[in-house]
Amino acid sequence: MIDTALFLLVDGLTNGLVYALLALSLVLVFTVTRVVNIAQGEYVMLGALTLADLLQGRMPGTLYLLIGGLTLCVVLDGSRWRRDWRQALLVVLGAVAAAAFAVAITRGALWLKLPVIGMMAVALMLVAPLGVLIYRFTVHPIPNASTIVFVIISVGVSMSVQGLGLLIWGASPYAVDPIMPGGVMMGPVFIPYQSFAILITALLSMGGLYLFSEFTLVGKALQASAMNRRGAQFCGIPVTAAGALAFLLAAAFSAISGMLLAPLITANYEMGFMVGLKGFVGGAMGGLIDYPLSLAGVMIVGALESTSAYVASAYRDAIVFSLLIPILLWRSSRQRVEGH
Amino acid sequence: MTVSYGAGTAIDGVSFDVARGEFVTFIGPNGAGKTTLLNSLMGVLQQNSGSVTFNGEELKALRPEARVARGIVIVPERRELFPGLSVEDHLRLGAFLLRGRGRAAMTAALERIYELLPKLGERRRQLAGTLSGGEQQMVAVGRALMAEPQLLMLDEPSTGLAPRVTEEIFEAIDRLKADGMTGILVEQNAHLALSVADRGFVLEVGSVVAFGPAQELRNDPRVLAAYIGGGDRYRDTGASGI
Repeated sequence: MIDTALFLLVDGLTNGLVYALLALSLVLVFTVTRVVNIAQGEYVMLGALTLADLLQGRMPGTLYLLIGGLTLCVVLDGSRWRRDWRQALLVVLGAVAAAAFAVAITRGALWLKLPVIGMMAVALMLVAPLGVLIYRFTVHPIPNASTIVFVIISVGVSMSVQGLGLLIWGASPYAVDPIMPGGVMMGPVFIPYQSFAILITALLSMGGLYLFSEFTLVGKALQASAMNRRGAQFCGIPVTAAGALAFLLAAAFSAISGMLLAPLITANYEMGFMVGLKGFVGGAMGGLIDYPLSLAGVMIVGALESTSAYVASAYRDAIVFSLLIPILLWRSSRQRVEGH
Repeated sequence: MTVSYGAGTAIDGVSFDVARGEFVTFIGPNGAGKTTLLNSLMGVLQQNSGSVTFNGEELKALRPEARVARGIVIVPERRELFPGLSVEDHLRLGAFLLRGRGRAAMTAALERIYELLPKLGERRRQLAGTLSGGEQQMVAVGRALMAEPQLLMLDEPSTGLAPRVTEEIFEAIDRLKADGMTGILVEQNAHLALSVADRGFVLEVGSVVAFGPAQELRNDPRVLAAYIGGGDRYRDTGASGI
């Protein structure tokens, strides 16, 4: 009985840490750009599938997305050709250089047959910029749109990226190697090394984000843009660039989350949506603005998920999502108390 | 610098220029369009017609952050601070565009601000959300100065402040002016504004109804009647509204 409880706890915490990276992404994006990003989970899928391709020695399909996106960027900025040809030339050269660089590092990594951790870094470099591209296409043109418009757009992005994923990778699942196979017996519980890898990566990512936002001026500028957009503009902080940075970091965290998660389940084109929603349930506890509360939220989600998988596996997702109702009731009652 | 534009009914065909090293003020009651004027100079609001030229450059489509890069900096009426960041963070962020100059330059700039506004030095580690109204106003002024403005725009710096705090802030403005700062000051408190400015414009429902050297405006019976006497009345209603 104790064994089972301990096992479920470890399993739950592992899941919680994976969702924590996602909740971090959601809070970061929401505070800086006011986008409730339903599509955040798709970076999880992209990260996992890119890693799967790299580990099996294939050029990842993510390159199509990256190069396609850069091309679209050039086309959209094409109107600048007449007004400002120098700027336009820079955009084109930058896009070409970025594409060439992406292909070069991918080829290099495949040729060198890097270990899993090296391939994860390469996959990260391919997936994270997609966040900036998606920001450029969806949020950048309408910075003052209402929250509900952004929600609907992000649902559209989620569907489109999932469709592209199906087109590129097909419907079959891919197995992904863990960073280190095997595990260790700790007392009565077997803990896979991957769980430790997840713990360390999650702590490093969160610690890194914390150090970046507290101890660099750019990090402070990102916080400032989240707290008061107009005030940030009056400081000369380019708020659109701050939004792009938030999308970049969020895409990176979510992609890492996917690469850590993939060995535990398998990677497939529709894995992102579910993971994204679970991160969202956890993030909702912090109202998508409070990091510590959101982290507590995803840990509860993780624990509840593994427990319900054991007790009533058919209802696992239903139980996790029904957690959203008490969370929202709790938040609104808290808000009412604060309002008085 | 020339400005002339008409943003609907808020501002109607106002035109003026500011020379380097000159402080001008716009006075007038609530709703005269003073804040609208500054916001459109800052690029927060788009003007329907007319043009703004700064140092020979047309500013029409520039966003606020690009205007800051050119040296136009505002101390906004609502202060627009970051409640969760410390006083010193605000000052550092004020110099965000000058961050390439290195640590020594930043420290020197901070010292200058702490000398001008000693309160900020005492409160440097405190979060802006926990400061009093007057201290918040000082943070807004300090933050703007950190950007090393060529044109400093102050929007109602005395609003909602105790007379003693207002005095402190206007002393700082006086010292900046003595150091050759160019500025546009918008105020409801006409007497105070005209005591620091070189020239004044009286704004009423979006149009300039009187203008001239600050000294003359102070003694202009029309201004006295309409705004100094009436100003108090407006200020009272304004205060109860806050």
